[in-house]
Amino acid sequence: MKLHRNMLLGITLVAALLALPALPALAHHGWGGNQDVEFELTGTLVKQVSLAGPHATMQLKDDKGQLWDITLAPPARTDRAGLKESTIPMGATVKVHGHRNSNMKKFEIKTERVTWEGKTFNVYPDRT
Amino acid sequence: MTSLTEPGTALYQFLVWLQASPLGEAMRHSGVWSYGVVNLVHNLGVASLFGAVLILDLRLLGVWKKVSVAALGEVTSPIALTGFLVAVVAGVCMICTNATDYAGNPFLLIKFPAILAGFANAVILNRQTAWRQRRTRDFSPVERRRLAWLGGVSLACWLTAISAGRMIGYW
Repeated sequence: MKLHRNMLLGITLVAALLALPALPALAHHGWGGNQDVEFELTGTLVKQVSLAGPHATMQLKDDKGQLWDITLAPPARTDRAGLKESTIPMGATVKVHGHRNSNMKKFEIKTERVTWEGKTFNVYPDRT
Repeated sequence: MTSLTEPGTALYQFLVWLQASPLGEAMRHSGVWSYGVVNLVHNLGVASLFGAVLILDLRLLGVWKKVSVAALGEVTSPIALTGFLVAVVAGVCMICTNATDYAGNPFLLIKFPAILAGFANAVILNRQTAWRQRRTRDFSPVERRRLAWLGGVSLACWLTAISAGRMIGYW
């Protein structure tokens, strides 16, 4: 088999063009599994912010005793939004705004904003 | 299939163990950039592995017949092996960070069997008499066909492993 150089170039270009429409979808990964509607939850902080990868996290408990996994932005971005590991103390009342996991058996929220004592941490400022 | 890693299974217990390991603990407490940097190292390992494997496998499939298999193997084998080891070490660090997050992720169950198959295929290639005598003689048509098959299977395995690996984060 002899592959002509122009043929290889052509194949690469076609593949690149075909991949283009996928770009906007991939620009923000991991949100496909979450509902499109905005979701808000107020709860008590039972696990403080962890700035570990791939995404910073914390855990809230709602008034019915349900535990919620709160997914924040990547660690460096969450940190830049002012949300450090010890910023919010355990037991504090925290409000989060974001998108709930589409699987209703999963109590997980991908979070855009965190509000605590009147302070707002915009971990994803360019999302609403 | 995804129920294999849901809570209550042996694989889930393994994820719990990975996350609780000193390595997982260290990854979670080593600054906001550690995961990103380890991810970069993982990608460099994968790029080296796949780049080298792609060249050798295409040669085994019959491309660039003017270049000898022995000469290409000299270059590609050490790069592929080094890249593989780098990717494994960095990958273990990454999964330990928050291992239980991947419970129920179907791509995990595609990626790891594909890696095992790719690795087994490489071991089989290295044990072929024809491959071991590549520096001293030419291949017979039968041997060439067998090596071409091994090259094709190798490409399929690594492409599957990389595609599934990339998709883990998009699940």
